[in-house]
Amino acid sequence: MSNLTITNLSKTYSNGVKALQNVSLDIPVGMFGLLGPNGAGKSTLMRTIATLQEADQGTITLGSVNVLHQKEEIRKVLGYLPQEFGLYPKTSAEVLLNHLAALKGIVSKSTRKEVVEALLHKTNLFEHRKKKLGGFSGGMKQRFGIAQALLSNPKLIIVDEPTAGLDPAERNRFYNLLSELGENTVVILSTHIVEDVKELCTNMAIINSGKVLLKGNPLKTIEEIEGKVFSKTIQKEELESYKEEYVVIAERLFQGKPIINIYSEDEPGNGFELIKADLSDVYFSRIFGHLKTAG
Amino acid sequence: MLLEIIKFEIQYRAKRAETYIYFTVLFLYSIIAVDFLFGHELGSVKANAPFVIAQSMTIISAFFMIVTSMIMGTAVLRDFDHNMESLIFINPIKKRDYLAGRFIGSFIVLLLIFSAMLLGLMLSCFVPWRELEELQVFNFWHYLQPFLSIVVPTLFFGGAIFFVTGALSRKLMVVYTQGIFFLMLYLVILQLSQNYDYRFLTALLDPFSFQTIGEVIQFWTPDDRNSFMISFEGVLLYNRLIWILIGFVALVIGYVKISFNVVQDKASKKLYQLKVSKENGLAKNTTKLSILVFSVEFNTRTSFFQIHRQALFHLKSLLKEGSFWAIVLCAMGTIFINTISLGTSFGVDSYPVTYLIVSELVELSVLFFLLIIIFYSGELVWKERDARLNQIHDSLPISDFVNLGGKFIGLCLGYLLLISFMILAAVLFQVSKGYYDFDFSLYFMEFFIGIFPVLVLLTGVTFFFQSLVNNKFVGHLAVGVFLFVGITVPVGLGYHHPLYIFGGSFLPAYSEMNGYGHFLESFFWVKIYWIAFTVLVFILATAMLVRGTETRFVTRLKQMKYKLSRPLINLALGVGCIFILSGSYIYYNTNVLNDFAFPSTQKAYRVDYEKTLKGFEKLPQPEIVDVNLTVDLFPDERRYAAKGYFILVNKTNSSINEVHIQKLPTSKVNLKYISFEGGATKDNNHEDFGYFINYLDQPIQPGDSIKMEFQQVFSEVGFEESSNKSIVTNGTFFDNSHFPSIGYNGDIELEDNSDREKYGLEPKARRAKIDDPISLRHGRADGDGEEIGFEMILGTVATQTALAPGSLVKEWKEGERSYFHYRMDQPIANFYSIVSAEYKTLEDKWIPETSSLFDHVDLEIYYQKGHEYNLDRMMNGMKKSFDYFSKNFGPYQYQQMRIMEYPRYRDFAQSFPNSVPFSESLGFILDIDDEKDVDMAFYITAHELAHQWWGLQVNPADVQGKSMISESLAQYSALMVLKKEYGEEKVQQFLRTQIRSYLRGRSREEIQEMPLSLVESGQEYIYYAKGAVNLYALQDYISEDSVNLALKKFIRDWDSTNGLLKKNTDRYSTTTDLFGYLREVTPDSLQNVISDLFETITIHENKAKTGSYEIISEENYRVNLTLEATKYQVDSLGVELAVGTNDWIDVGVFAEGEDGSEELIYLKKHHFVDGVLELEITVGQEPVRAGIDPLHKLIDRKLDDNIIELSKE
Repeated sequence: MSNLTITNLSKTYSNGVKALQNVSLDIPVGMFGLLGPNGAGKSTLMRTIATLQEADQGTITLGSVNVLHQKEEIRKVLGYLPQEFGLYPKTSAEVLLNHLAALKGIVSKSTRKEVVEALLHKTNLFEHRKKKLGGFSGGMKQRFGIAQALLSNPKLIIVDEPTAGLDPAERNRFYNLLSELGENTVVILSTHIVEDVKELCTNMAIINSGKVLLKGNPLKTIEEIEGKVFSKTIQKEELESYKEEYVVIAERLFQGKPIINIYSEDEPGNGFELIKADLSDVYFSRIFGHLKTAG
Repeated sequence: MLLEIIKFEIQYRAKRAETYIYFTVLFLYSIIAVDFLFGHELGSVKANAPFVIAQSMTIISAFFMIVTSMIMGTAVLRDFDHNMESLIFINPIKKRDYLAGRFIGSFIVLLLIFSAMLLGLMLSCFVPWRELEELQVFNFWHYLQPFLSIVVPTLFFGGAIFFVTGALSRKLMVVYTQGIFFLMLYLVILQLSQNYDYRFLTALLDPFSFQTIGEVIQFWTPDDRNSFMISFEGVLLYNRLIWILIGFVALVIGYVKISFNVVQDKASKKLYQLKVSKENGLAKNTTKLSILVFSVEFNTRTSFFQIHRQALFHLKSLLKEGSFWAIVLCAMGTIFINTISLGTSFGVDSYPVTYLIVSELVELSVLFFLLIIIFYSGELVWKERDARLNQIHDSLPISDFVNLGGKFIGLCLGYLLLISFMILAAVLFQVSKGYYDFDFSLYFMEFFIGIFPVLVLLTGVTFFFQSLVNNKFVGHLAVGVFLFVGITVPVGLGYHHPLYIFGGSFLPAYSEMNGYGHFLESFFWVKIYWIAFTVLVFILATAMLVRGTETRFVTRLKQMKYKLSRPLINLALGVGCIFILSGSYIYYNTNVLNDFAFPSTQKAYRVDYEKTLKGFEKLPQPEIVDVNLTVDLFPDERRYAAKGYFILVNKTNSSINEVHIQKLPTSKVNLKYISFEGGATKDNNHEDFGYFINYLDQPIQPGDSIKMEFQQVFSEVGFEESSNKSIVTNGTFFDNSHFPSIGYNGDIELEDNSDREKYGLEPKARRAKIDDPISLRHGRADGDGEEIGFEMILGTVATQTALAPGSLVKEWKEGERSYFHYRMDQPIANFYSIVSAEYKTLEDKWIPETSSLFDHVDLEIYYQKGHEYNLDRMMNGMKKSFDYFSKNFGPYQYQQMRIMEYPRYRDFAQSFPNSVPFSESLGFILDIDDEKDVDMAFYITAHELAHQWWGLQVNPADVQGKSMISESLAQYSALMVLKKEYGEEKVQQFLRTQIRSYLRGRSREEIQEMPLSLVESGQEYIYYAKGAVNLYALQDYISEDSVNLALKKFIRDWDSTNGLLKKNTDRYSTTTDLFGYLREVTPDSLQNVISDLFETITIHENKAKTGSYEIISEENYRVNLTLEATKYQVDSLGVELAVGTNDWIDVGVFAEGEDGSEELIYLKKHHFVDGVLELEITVGQEPVRAGIDPLHKLIDRKLDDNIIELSKE
């Protein structure tokens, strides 16, 4: 199994937005989480890996294959679920999936039939297989998207915000499916849900404004800030002054009162309590720029 | 609120690039529209004449209906397309404001876009190629008036319908498809309008007013067209009101029907979806995914498999489109509509032979195919992007070539299906007409070999543009512009070479005699060339196709090198080779082996000829008096070799020492040698023109003759851009113009006077003046010798019969060849045909009743097997003609009369001495219904036979009025035979078509209308149409016998070989001579009729103003009529002036006959002096209608108002 290696990838859009800046990542077989807020460049990166977008500079390789130039080769082993997509409204799920399987190169009719049926079962669309895709709900559509991404034994699976539109139970089942595949496949999962990454991924990266802020094993990154995150319930009016004084990495309301998390190398005192650090703390501390970019 | 929405709509459109693109295209098109739509047809009508402007506007607004649909159809639709409806509809806006706002806003934008037409047309007066004489004084109102009265209503109803259907269907394709229905409607109207009875109806219903204007101005003279505007009244007003009303109805229906819910019927689905999504989810068993172990191999087989699947998938989705089936139905329907006028000549339909059905079907379906190609190609290329499936689709392991190729093939399969349905419809049509001779191989050729490749080519190019331009609508426009620039413009300018006219030519005309003949070879080469071109373009398309999110042109250009895979590059190289090789081969054939000349080169050649050699025109030359030739035809090779001699006589008063010979100016004719008795020195200085001066060693003395021997070979090598259609494999027909002519040949001169002016040449008269002393001595042969002795031996392949004028003296076979020896025992006109084909023959005899030269005449019809339909009619026509002509004009001069069918590449019949080559398309396949049709097979036969007298016995002088003697008299003679055989009614039916074709013809006159007495060449509307009408009127005034008596004397005196007067003069007869005889038999009181009918241009406007009747007794009814007769004459400047009437004109009364049809119970000429006449007529039957000139014997501008319903007093 080959790693996916991204080296110094940069992309600037024609309107001047720097979507990717010198991104370098080494993604091994297994689940890889890509965390970042909206507009961070996650989708640009995913699309570039999925051969749908050009980079200004840098390289991406999967084993010996140059993703940016040998697109055909990558597509043969690629499963891609875009963040947003539509389907032919007048076609049934079975027909379209079969068609996509054919286009993915599954020549044998019987194999195609088996694969399509298995995936329809797996995504619980089997009983809707004759139905026009135009009548699919958001969740069903998303499941169809998952099914098509898994056609033809992909070696590289890219799923962009895959759980949007799925209810929690569906989400869990989908993640189970992914982690099964992750055992011998490179699976890149982009999301802004921190917990998902923590639960699923052996490796992760946080990106914002086109830059990689952190990369590593989720648990290890949590360890790094263990003992440095403190929490306190405060009054609303105090919020601003706390923000000035401390490195506030998270704030949320609990019973109408703000609770803030701060990052501090030392014991801050002042009623702050040490809490068990979480991946979201890692995430927010990176996003808000309080920590230096991991080297 | 309303204002806000309007404002928003306009601002939205103002920001869209499309808006400006439409404007620009419309603007540019309008600038060239007049040139493009009218071209050289205008003649003396000015390029900015009000009718030209109005007519251009109707056509442009029809063409650009598509822009209307894209603006108006998307006004509401786009909210759904962009999923904006929820956001729009939750706002507190009223349905009325929303709809009205969108409509008004879009309509304003539409008007602004179409104002480009107004600007463009105005600017077209000032383009550099416009010459001052083509224009009259600029008048802004001439532009604004038709824009407001014609274009705005068109835009309104079109816009309203598109707006409503777009909003109701919420599908773009439905909006497009409507365009097809408009087209259908328009085609139906166009078809109907060919039948005169429906002209008013079609004028009323034409959605774009094109026919309407045509109806209003149909008989306007060029002068009228320059001065009058199409006033907004009468049929035009009604037409516009009807369509405006339709627009309003559409809006009202739309207003009621358009629901203002978020989504019309999706609501129920939403509920359903909620339900299902609750009970379903990803599989609950979280056991391991049973990973199917299979390997996917990618090789060529996979690619083929993918193409195959892609093609089938898209074909299936095409078949799910309702619009596709709508097109199928329309296309099938066209044949039933279109054959209202199937191969009509003079109102008679042809049998539904396959090639006619196919060509009618193809002619109309081209538009359907074009629509399918342009729109479905766009839809297919954009399919994933429109469905937003593109990100998934683009990451699939299929190459762009496989992707586009599969779609392409899918669409092409759709065409095949459509074609199959059209063939089915055609067969059904044939069955419905009781015609069972289906020619499936011809269907196959015409559709699958003829049409299908064209569709494939166009589709390829459309895919290219849709891939190149990252905007579907701009893509559509780009295709339109490409077709215009790639086909219409060069063809319009006269550039026809298949190497640069996209797609090359269509399949050549099919003839049942000659099949596709030799034309197929070049057709196939050209198709190979263009298919190679299209494949190259297609490969480029795949390399430029947007894949992923990179849409910028430059980025895609840079990416091309990664997209062009090795096999694709190899394919491109291979196809590129085919392209270059086939192109070179075509070029080698058309331009190296054969001469190819651009129009300008051809013109320059003619100019050069004239400038160099005109000096020789009046050089005294000998004339041909004897022709003796052996012509060996090799039809399979399209070759002949002619050898023999002419005897030339010096008829001048001085000796001639040089003979100038003009060879047919084509490189195919090779004059092997030419020699003169006594020897001559040849001067080859003008060889470029095929013009050779031979200095005789022994000059020809006045009255002496000399033998000129020559051999010439006609041969074809390779193929050419437009190949000869006279010497073909089966059905050769050519005449003596192929052989050397004597002296300078005026026929080579440039004809068109505006071209002549550009090259600094004097205008050329269409005929010499009636008193031109030189031309008076020339007849048909233009000075080459008019009366000749004739002998010819024809050789051809054994399967064919070869025919030339004369008696067949001997016939023999030599090996695989047949020989025929013809000889004329008396002199004939220097005008002979050579015909050869595989023939069946029908033979009969005509036994003269009156004194005659021969005791019988052999009648022979040489025809193509299968064309037996009308042989009896033609044979009968020959007999009846001989009966009438020999009795009334004089004896027939030959012993045989032959009709020979020749292929339908040309469509005329022509009378040579005792021979009439008769086109396959002309009378052989007419389906004549004696109840309702005029027997045109009979009539044409009679007309051609009449030429044996008029033209061949009397050879008129080559001056003004010549064609009246040859053609008008032939028309008259044929009419008389028709009257005798079929009765007066059929004659009147025929004459009504002739009045209309005269009135239409004169409205298109480019130079100057002439009276019959001075008619010039090319004025068919005068010498055929008006000639027939007026000669018939003359015999009505002075009696048939009187006219015939005059003609008998005319022929007695002016027969070109033994006429009493002709014998003593070297000039030929003119209309002046003819009128002498006619006036002689005309009573004094009617002398003015001769001048009205023949010597002036006289137009009547006869009208029944009021009419009533009272019952006096059971058998006595008194009819009171007020009738008006106005007469106009055209002066020398072409101005029509009312002149006083002093004429005898028919007055008629109709009653209901026994069988319920109308019966003429009173017909008598009354004297009309200066206009209105009040009449009291007593009749013996209850009258119904009455009027002036009820049988239309006079040329009347308005035929419909002659008769009036009588009211009972």
